[in-house]
Amino acid sequence: MDSSIVQRREEILAKKAKLAELKKQRELRKAESSQRQSLTGSPAREIVSPTPRRADERTRALDEYIDNILGESRPSSAQPQSPAGGRATRPTSVISASQLSSDNEAQSGPGAQYQVPLSMVDQGMQTLSLGNLTTVYETEGVDVGPPPKREKEVITYSKGVQADIEWSPRKPRGAGESESERDDSPTRSPHTPKRLSRRQKERDEEIRLQLKREIEEEIKAAQKAAEAGEVQTVSGENFPFKTLNNEELTAVENSDDFIDFVERSTKVLERALDQQLDYDILADYALGGANVDEEDEGYGSSGGKKGRRIKEIAQFWDDRWSKKRMVSDLGFSSKFPELVLASYTKNPSAPHDPDGLVQVWNLHMHDRPEYIFHAQSDILTAKFSPFHPNLIIGGAYSGQVLLWDTRAKSSPVQKTPLTGSGHTHPVYSIDIVGTQNANNIISASTDGVVCGWTVDMFSQPQEFLELTSPPPAKTDDMAVTCIAFPQSDPTYFLAGTEEGSIYPCHRYDRAGAKAGVDGRVKYGGHAAPVMSLDFHPAKGQIDLGDLVLSSSVDWSVKLWKVRPPAATGPSNTLAPGAAQQVAPLLDIAREDLVYDARWSPVKPSVFALVDGAGSLEVWDLNVDVEVPLQKVTPSENKRGALSGGMGYMKRSLNKLAWEKNEGRRVAVAGMDGVVTVFEVGSELGGVETKTEEWSGVKRLVGRLEGASEGVNGK
Amino acid sequence: MGAVAEKSPEETLAHLVRLSQKPGVQSTLILSRDNGAIVRTTGLISNSSSANPNSTLPASNETAPDSYTNGKKDTGMNSAEDVASKVWAFLTAAGNLVEGLYEEDEVKLLRLRTKKNELVIIPDCKFIHVLVHDTPPA
Repeated sequence: MDSSIVQRREEILAKKAKLAELKKQRELRKAESSQRQSLTGSPAREIVSPTPRRADERTRALDEYIDNILGESRPSSAQPQSPAGGRATRPTSVISASQLSSDNEAQSGPGAQYQVPLSMVDQGMQTLSLGNLTTVYETEGVDVGPPPKREKEVITYSKGVQADIEWSPRKPRGAGESESERDDSPTRSPHTPKRLSRRQKERDEEIRLQLKREIEEEIKAAQKAAEAGEVQTVSGENFPFKTLNNEELTAVENSDDFIDFVERSTKVLERALDQQLDYDILADYALGGANVDEEDEGYGSSGGKKGRRIKEIAQFWDDRWSKKRMVSDLGFSSKFPELVLASYTKNPSAPHDPDGLVQVWNLHMHDRPEYIFHAQSDILTAKFSPFHPNLIIGGAYSGQVLLWDTRAKSSPVQKTPLTGSGHTHPVYSIDIVGTQNANNIISASTDGVVCGWTVDMFSQPQEFLELTSPPPAKTDDMAVTCIAFPQSDPTYFLAGTEEGSIYPCHRYDRAGAKAGVDGRVKYGGHAAPVMSLDFHPAKGQIDLGDLVLSSSVDWSVKLWKVRPPAATGPSNTLAPGAAQQVAPLLDIAREDLVYDARWSPVKPSVFALVDGAGSLEVWDLNVDVEVPLQKVTPSENKRGALSGGMGYMKRSLNKLAWEKNEGRRVAVAGMDGVVTVFEVGSELGGVETKTEEWSGVKRLVGRLEGASEGVNGK
Repeated sequence: MGAVAEKSPEETLAHLVRLSQKPGVQSTLILSRDNGAIVRTTGLISNSSSANPNSTLPASNETAPDSYTNGKKDTGMNSAEDVASKVWAFLTAAGNLVEGLYEEDEVKLLRLRTKKNELVIIPDCKFIHVLVHDTPPA
């Protein structure tokens, strides 16, 4: 501070000298201009005429200013007594600007540009801009002469402290704005006092900025003098570098702001990196030509084959979290089709990590999950809520139903209690049924308990239903492995069991049937636990919503036509007591355990399955009911090889999920914890479906029905 | 934002290290917006003796020496301070552009492609994240 005062004083002395010189020059010029005035004609007179008066005043002002400085009587200079007090700010600023101008030219364009003309006004070209300037000063002296002076003084001294704000981006912008204001002002009437005071404020602002810059320059120069000359030149241009010591560094890095920022920015950066791998927008097809995409679909003679192609597009694995966990469920978000969630079982070798894990992967970010969610128990099933894009529900080995929110932290925002009122056995199947405004979470555990929950209340189930095996069975117990709801009816569902049968169940009592298992019908056929059940999505011209696909570890997939719940009544009266066994329409034997089978959400005849051998098969019932159209295995990645040790088992695929909006993508995952996403060709996915495809399935079902009835009849 | 608030500094660091070691990434840089401090760098050297070595993370082994020579020859961007000041100037200019065109708008992302590199700059209210990486072979 002291040194800056000394510097300031030196500078003032310098200015004083300059002022004196200016004064001399001006007097000379005044004499000249009065001569010139007499020579020039009348048009110029109006502009020129203020000159003498202004020059007079200026001289007076300068005298007074110099007196002030000489007498060191700063307070008196701030007194409101004379217009000169206010005016005195001008010369200072002008001079400082001219002093600075060489620096400023190098520093910032806008500032320098307008300062140069200013200094020229005073030295040579009065004639053009004088008219304006004069009016300003008259009013200035009357209204608000004193304050600027005082302000200026105050600010002059406080600048040194604020030096490190200097290189913030707002400053150059500020200068630019005031410049534009200044350009405007001559076109408008300079006589409105409001306008003037505003303009004057802006000018003060400018002056302040200039002073600030000037002083900082001095301080910087003094500080950097000791250092190398090079560094000094760099510091001239808003050099944004400040060294942090270790403590500051830790403070910054531990701040929530920083952690938050890095979380977001690294995601964006990774997406940016991954995006450019897909397609380079700067590609120039005129060059090279070797990289032309040969996998363009739908064109050329072999289009038919190409439409059935399956291409692997992404594999997801996280070193930290995916290791030694198995994928227990998969699901695409319906709102954001690029997001896939995967739920995982525990990592037995990491007892301190949470057992349960859900990772949400983004197809545009390959190496890292978008979100990570935890739970205390292995997650066995999870899915995005179809009614709320932020919510994810899951079922845990502990019997809890959990709810996560992508806007919240990684632990569940809600979970059901571990008491007798809910599940006490592992929850392997969960679904959300109903409509946007009235929906329930339905969960099923292996002890046959089915509960209904609402998102708002997890403390107690809204519905509680215990499924029991119907009479012919030796025991009441029923081990439910999976449940499935038809599209059309949220009160009725199918339950697959460990023993291999599939039972229709009612959520509520209804005419002719009590809530629970409907013992009159049984879909028998599987000889081993049913691993999945899937109702036909039935979004097309013909209602195929009664078709169900089931997979089982008895190495088969079966196609069923389920009876509508109302039609079960009469058949019951015909054969009371005895459960009617319904045989599958179609029995497709596979070469391995089938863990999951799902209908395509768009193509009526297409479904996909995954098996214990690690293959994904895509079938089209219209094309072939005995051989899959396509069979692929996820690429052998290095992660799989690294974490090996389970050999054959390792490759087994547990789950599959279709992207629901377009049906172009299938995600599969299994024992090795790697999620693989495939894209299917236009014949197997995509929104356009032909009427023939629907009627084809209908005909096939009719044919199969006829055949099975024929068999039954005999 | 899920799971953000629970993240520990170590995990944040791990993210940065992993990002800097992705294939093609030459260097990364995090600046503080308040005072221009360089919080983190990878793949860049500092030409100031006063710089804190702790702020520099290890870059990927294959690309680091490569990018260093590459950077020096092609772009001259071998010092963190240099990159920082140039990015700052670029960002300021971009900010002015946006503000001049659309009021009350701001820069969210800058991607700058050169013949050899791409700069991705993410300005935020408190920090600026800069990443320099190779462009994919044409």
